[in-house]
Amino acid sequence: MIVFEDVTKIYDPDVVGLQNFTCHIGKGEFVFLVGASGSGKSTLIKLVLKELVPDSGRILVAGRNLGTLRHSKVPLLRRNIGCVFQDFKLLPNKTVYDNVAYALEVVGEPRRSIRRKVPEILSLVGLNDKTNSYPHEISGGEQQRVSVARAFVNHPPLLLADEPTGNIDPETAVGIMQLLVRINRTGTTVVVATHDRDMVNRMRRRVLQLDQGRLVRDERRGGYDQVTDAEEQEVLT
Amino acid sequence: MRLGFFLKEAFGSMRRNWVMAMAAVITVFISTAILGAVLVTRDNLNQGATSLKNRVLIEVFIKDDAPDEQKAALEQKIQQLQEQGVVKSYTYISKEEALKRFEERFGPRIVQNLPINPLPASYEIQVSDANQVDAVAQKFFDEAAVDNDPGTHNGVKYARETVRKMLGTINLIGIGMWVATGIFALAAVLLISTTVRLSIFARRREVEIMRLVGATNWFIRWPFVLEGFITGLIGAVIAAGFVWLCNWALANWLESSDINFLDIRVFSMWWQSGSWPAGLLPTLAILGAVLGALGSMVALRRYLKT
Repeated sequence: MIVFEDVTKIYDPDVVGLQNFTCHIGKGEFVFLVGASGSGKSTLIKLVLKELVPDSGRILVAGRNLGTLRHSKVPLLRRNIGCVFQDFKLLPNKTVYDNVAYALEVVGEPRRSIRRKVPEILSLVGLNDKTNSYPHEISGGEQQRVSVARAFVNHPPLLLADEPTGNIDPETAVGIMQLLVRINRTGTTVVVATHDRDMVNRMRRRVLQLDQGRLVRDERRGGYDQVTDAEEQEVLT
Repeated sequence: MRLGFFLKEAFGSMRRNWVMAMAAVITVFISTAILGAVLVTRDNLNQGATSLKNRVLIEVFIKDDAPDEQKAALEQKIQQLQEQGVVKSYTYISKEEALKRFEERFGPRIVQNLPINPLPASYEIQVSDANQVDAVAQKFFDEAAVDNDPGTHNGVKYARETVRKMLGTINLIGIGMWVATGIFALAAVLLISTTVRLSIFARRREVEIMRLVGATNWFIRWPFVLEGFITGLIGAVIAAGFVWLCNWALANWLESSDINFLDIRVFSMWWQSGSWPAGLLPTLAILGAVLGALGSMVALRRYLKT
């Protein structure tokens, strides 16, 4: 689904975003990106969205080479990628319903099908009673669920989440993560950048750890921290 | 293009950001009202200048004792000039006619005391182009029938210096008004684009989100462009009404006062065939709407770079 080949991105003047980063994320995978702030998680997500362009290296998303993708095709790329952010990025002047509907308007979905799909997805995330509320009228957890609904309403093959639980209390965060897992089960590839140690440890999914723009760990069923076998034994006993 | 959706978006955002929308409407109103005022003023000055120019007359006085063939030659010359298009029209004022005019002006008592009619007959010649007055007048200086004192050309009378000064002033005012139109049009563009930029800056996050969701640039642009268009249209229509009302009130007031010689014309509101610029409403409305839409597009440009 996502292929990074020796990708380097340096910000001005010389802050490292990503350095010689190589990885493959397969179709239908659920991947955690972990690492300290500034380790390159957000850079990676922005590169996948072609919000940023790498200095060197090659990025393929769903088989398409982003380096040769024309500017005018970038919106088409983004329609196939659902996005969830730490700060939700909801349109403040639109109701919950209209926020989700916007993603469908953008792709030119007929009105009738919008009227069918939006309530469907809102009930999936458990928000059918907040349809006409504005973002500032609902809680952070609810806002994040709206954002997940918007990201998934088009049923994109890929969903990126940048610190989706960063601004939410732990219990609500579990709910959001469960939503992402459910989305993953429908076949959507999910990539989650996170600081949430407990969550990563509990879920035991593939973990990519970044440090100063380099990939330092790629573990199949990893935890948040790299643990030696001895330590793991200790934890388990 | 989904016009319905874009219109809904545009009106919705105007309702929500009504303070900004109002600011934009007022800006357009002020800018286009100034432009409208310049237009009306220029039109009236042109009108005034034209009517003043038309009043420039050349008077050619005829000797009482000139033989008929000389008089005929003079008239023929004027007719020739008229055929060439240099002279617009002319009238023959006979001695009796001249006396009658004199009587109207100074009263019958003086006329009654005159033993004979001392006034010469004359031609009043109106030239087509006021700038040509000098040249035309000179053509009659040496006509035999003209009532010149020996060695002078005082049989041909026209307000030579006055005409020159007047024409200079009128031409200067004309240039001045064009310059003013240009400056105010530029000021209007700058003012409007600044206002639009401000209102879009306040909504740059919105634009960013739209892009992340995969909206194409035109999908994002249309509501903003429509909003600019509507805002510009509203401001300009109000401005057109305002300028027309002021023009009308001023004309009415001047007409009823002592200085009605100014003869202020009320600029037409609607389009009239043959008039340029077209009436106030179409001119300003098109201007305002285009300015608003263009302003939005230009101001959005920096947020739509990929």
